[in-house]
Amino acid sequence: MTTATSHATGEVTYLEAISQALDEEMMRDERVFLMGEDIGQYGGAFRITEGFLDKYGEWRILDTPLAESGFVGAAIGAAMMGLRPVVEMQFADFISCAFDQITEVAAKNHYRWGAAVPMVIRAPFGGGIHGGPFHSECPEGWFFHSPGLKLVAPSTPYDAKGLLKAAIRDPNPVIYFEHKFLYRRIKATLPTDDYIVPIGKADVKRPGNDISVITYGAMVHLALEAAQMLAKEGIDLEVVDLRTLAPLDKEAIFSSVHKTSKAIVLHEDNKTGGIGAEIAALLAEECFDSLDGPIVRIAAPDTPVPFSTPLEEFFLPKTSDIVAAARKLAAY
Amino acid sequence: MIVATDIIMPQLGESIAEGTVVKWLIPLGGAIEKDQSLLEVETEKVDLEVPSPASGVLNEILVKEGETVAVGTLLARIDSAPPAEVISRVGGVVVRPVDSDAAGEEHHSPAVRQLAKEHGVDLAHLKGTGAGGRVSKKDVLEFVARTSAPGPTTAASGEPSMGEEILPLTQMRKTIADRMVKSRQTSAHVSTFFEADFSSIASFRTGRDLTYLPFVVRAVTRALRDVPLVNATWGDQGIVIKKDTHVGIATALEEGLLVPVVRHADRKGLTQLAKEIADLAERARSKKLSPDEVQGGTFTITNHGGFGSLFSTPIIHQPQIAILGVGAVQKRAVVINEAIAIRPMGYLSLSFDHRVIDGATADQFMAKVKHYLEGGHWEQIL
Amino acid sequence: MDLADVTSQIKRADLLHMYYYLRLTRALEDRITALYRQGRIVGGCYTSHGMEAIAVGYASALERDDVIAPFHRDMGAFLMRGITPGEVLAQYLGKRTGPTKGKDGNVHMGDLKRGIIGFVSHLADNLPVATGAALAFKMRGESRIVVAGTGDGGTSRGDFHEAMNFAAVRKLPVVFFCTNNQYAYSTPLRLQMAITDVVERAKAYGMPGEIVDGNDVAAVYLAAKRGIAKARAGEGPTFFEFKTMRMHGHSEHDPAKYVPPELLEAWKKRDPILAAERLLVEAGYGDETYFHEILERVKKEVEAALEFAEKSPLPEGPEVLEGVFATDADLSHQATHSRSAA
Repeated sequence: MTTATSHATGEVTYLEAISQALDEEMMRDERVFLMGEDIGQYGGAFRITEGFLDKYGEWRILDTPLAESGFVGAAIGAAMMGLRPVVEMQFADFISCAFDQITEVAAKNHYRWGAAVPMVIRAPFGGGIHGGPFHSECPEGWFFHSPGLKLVAPSTPYDAKGLLKAAIRDPNPVIYFEHKFLYRRIKATLPTDDYIVPIGKADVKRPGNDISVITYGAMVHLALEAAQMLAKEGIDLEVVDLRTLAPLDKEAIFSSVHKTSKAIVLHEDNKTGGIGAEIAALLAEECFDSLDGPIVRIAAPDTPVPFSTPLEEFFLPKTSDIVAAARKLAAY
Repeated sequence: MIVATDIIMPQLGESIAEGTVVKWLIPLGGAIEKDQSLLEVETEKVDLEVPSPASGVLNEILVKEGETVAVGTLLARIDSAPPAEVISRVGGVVVRPVDSDAAGEEHHSPAVRQLAKEHGVDLAHLKGTGAGGRVSKKDVLEFVARTSAPGPTTAASGEPSMGEEILPLTQMRKTIADRMVKSRQTSAHVSTFFEADFSSIASFRTGRDLTYLPFVVRAVTRALRDVPLVNATWGDQGIVIKKDTHVGIATALEEGLLVPVVRHADRKGLTQLAKEIADLAERARSKKLSPDEVQGGTFTITNHGGFGSLFSTPIIHQPQIAILGVGAVQKRAVVINEAIAIRPMGYLSLSFDHRVIDGATADQFMAKVKHYLEGGHWEQIL
Repeated sequence: MDLADVTSQIKRADLLHMYYYLRLTRALEDRITALYRQGRIVGGCYTSHGMEAIAVGYASALERDDVIAPFHRDMGAFLMRGITPGEVLAQYLGKRTGPTKGKDGNVHMGDLKRGIIGFVSHLADNLPVATGAALAFKMRGESRIVVAGTGDGGTSRGDFHEAMNFAAVRKLPVVFFCTNNQYAYSTPLRLQMAITDVVERAKAYGMPGEIVDGNDVAAVYLAAKRGIAKARAGEGPTFFEFKTMRMHGHSEHDPAKYVPPELLEAWKKRDPILAAERLLVEAGYGDETYFHEILERVKKEVEAALEFAEKSPLPEGPEVLEGVFATDADLSHQATHSRSAA
């Protein structure tokens, strides 16, 4: 079932969509190469690069030592020399080892001395897989705060493929947050032609008139589920999938809230200082006159991701949270 | 673990069976400490503050202010605050209940204020269906949809198109518009119509320089003396019956209308009334009225028959509770003593505020007006 | 080094060229120090005073298309790669005509056109980046190499180890060096590491290592040449420990009272420029007159550079917002200058 070398025209999973994007970009542009732990021989911890080593060889599919700072730094150097590295973090949680290289070197390079770093770091993030504190984290908040980085987080196979291609073609460092919970759980039929999803553009996954739910990643699906339930009660949610976290599509966010006058900001990341806080502040600053209710945030509590099932279930935002918040906000 | 504490109507005295919730001292959703005063309760004998039996959050209020319930009735619930370590996943929606009798400005959300501004809506008389009684965006939009006339867009839109002319709103027009709408939303308008025989007035008028109006004023003041409830206003503490009778006369102007007031109309004879009415009307038209002269009325008469109008449903002039419309006086065939006679007849249209008086009282009043109009003896009050 | 070894391996012109740059580096950095003491330079001020032979030595061994990933005591390398003294002073004065247009200060300069990877303050961060550049050259089959280094303190950081390891595993065309000037700010070597010679780390990562007298420009040059040749031949990385002494404080504000004065006295006698002059005299390539001429020349060059820098405009406030992100045009312009595979 190697998806690497076949171009499936049937339904593909979110994971297969990522694999396809990598494969197609590597075929399209010889400068693209992959680095990461266990991506070559093993085909990747999640099997995304299965078959790639045979197809592209050990100098385009590099099995790196266990040294995130080292190989992210190397990716920066290679990118400056005209290549297009795509680095895989085995789990997003390990990105902290490379925090220094990402935020001090990659993010600031072009600003300081005009050297572009066209590098992509893929980071499998999110929980719901019994991964515990070091295999379920949502670290996007740390990088959101670093000028010079672009951050994307697709929620569907279509967006996953299109955004990864766009990221690879972008002349700036892009961190691509792929939600591991969605890997095999969602499927879609994708266009066979080459396409990209532009970075910096949100997508209204469900139009509505009563409440805007601004969200990304796996939470998009919970929001859609909640919307279906609430429709029966006459509460009409509009689900705005950010797709790009940095730079935020402010126009899309504002136009949605201008229309509905009520907003719920939803993400799986911890609440305090998460991206939702910035969005809530932006809404208060720029949509104040349109607000007919307080801006509500739904997010994980401020704790590391716990392991034990009842703990993780309590930790993760759920559809019922969205439904409860929406009812309250609708009645306000 | 969150513990809920029931708040019940206390037994404030051995023989007391019920109590009234006077005021909730903590808003819904608010935090409260043990022993902190939670609400004010009133019984036959006593008025006091009830301390909270627990600390926590007032999450449910089941009995509203002003309601009287039996002792032991569940009034509210307090949930103990969750332990500090558990941080909520879902952001709160804090509701401050809106006090409908509040003297001050009600708090409106930015969207509501913006919409009200755009559509020229006075939020003071909008009923809110949002949490805690607040006016929501939906309330404003629905109100606009209900009250806006079909046709071209509001003044907020740009240039007039072909086939339209825009008349800019004068201050008077804005005021009239505002008052009329407000009045309709304040009082429970009901109409009752009577017919009066103006023969005695008509014959008395012959050779005298008097219009029907002074006669109507006199009939009204005497009827108000008989049914004083009609000479009243609606107040916080109750219905306020005015001792004095000041009658406003609705006066049509070129650009609108004014209601100058004839003070102590019950003390004035026909001649004086006629003179005053004429003077007020003239000064109203030449804009020489002082502010005092258009205030303080306790009843209003509107003479709408000038162009032939028979009946009307006039709008009460707040804060009064009734207004009498006098239609055109026309000769009609009527039945008197089993025979047809020709008499000058006129319809009297009363709009009254059903909050204060019921139909019976209104009709009682009108019967009196009719009686005095038809009764004659005008020479005594000339 | 033995005179015969030197003259047999290094051309006269090359030695004189190196001497010129030793003098230029010294004159420029002395000027920078003076400006700092006059309060005309703001921010940090780090020089390579008394250590100039290392940067000049290794930079002399590079080909035009090679790339360096230097650290803050490599002024000589910046100059040899083509950054002008005027640009350096403009950079220090925060002017728009410096290589970072005022966005960064002191030696935090970089320019891909001249094969210099700009470094950050976090020491040793440049080393993984250097391995990445070398990786690109190897992947494309280019004969270009990378020279990258850090100080004794920098070798304590994880990035040093990760870079050395990766380069050795993949046999990348990179030459690593450590400028062991015996103090990392106030931290003496004995508190920085349990070993006495940093070179011992090379073996741990599976690459050859050598100790070189960092104040002997000829020795540095020849060592660098050896390492570079190996790298270019596809034999992987080499590590050099250049032994030297930090003659000034960590930065110009630091009086460095923690350094025993005897140590400084001893190393003063081993000053690299004096050593170079002795060598040139011995070889018959130069004399006092010549040295004086060079001194005058570099003095003039530095003065002209200062004039240029002082006349240059400062950037304006709103320029802060420029350049956070690169455009496709920026990148395509860049690619041509980093010369992809022929």
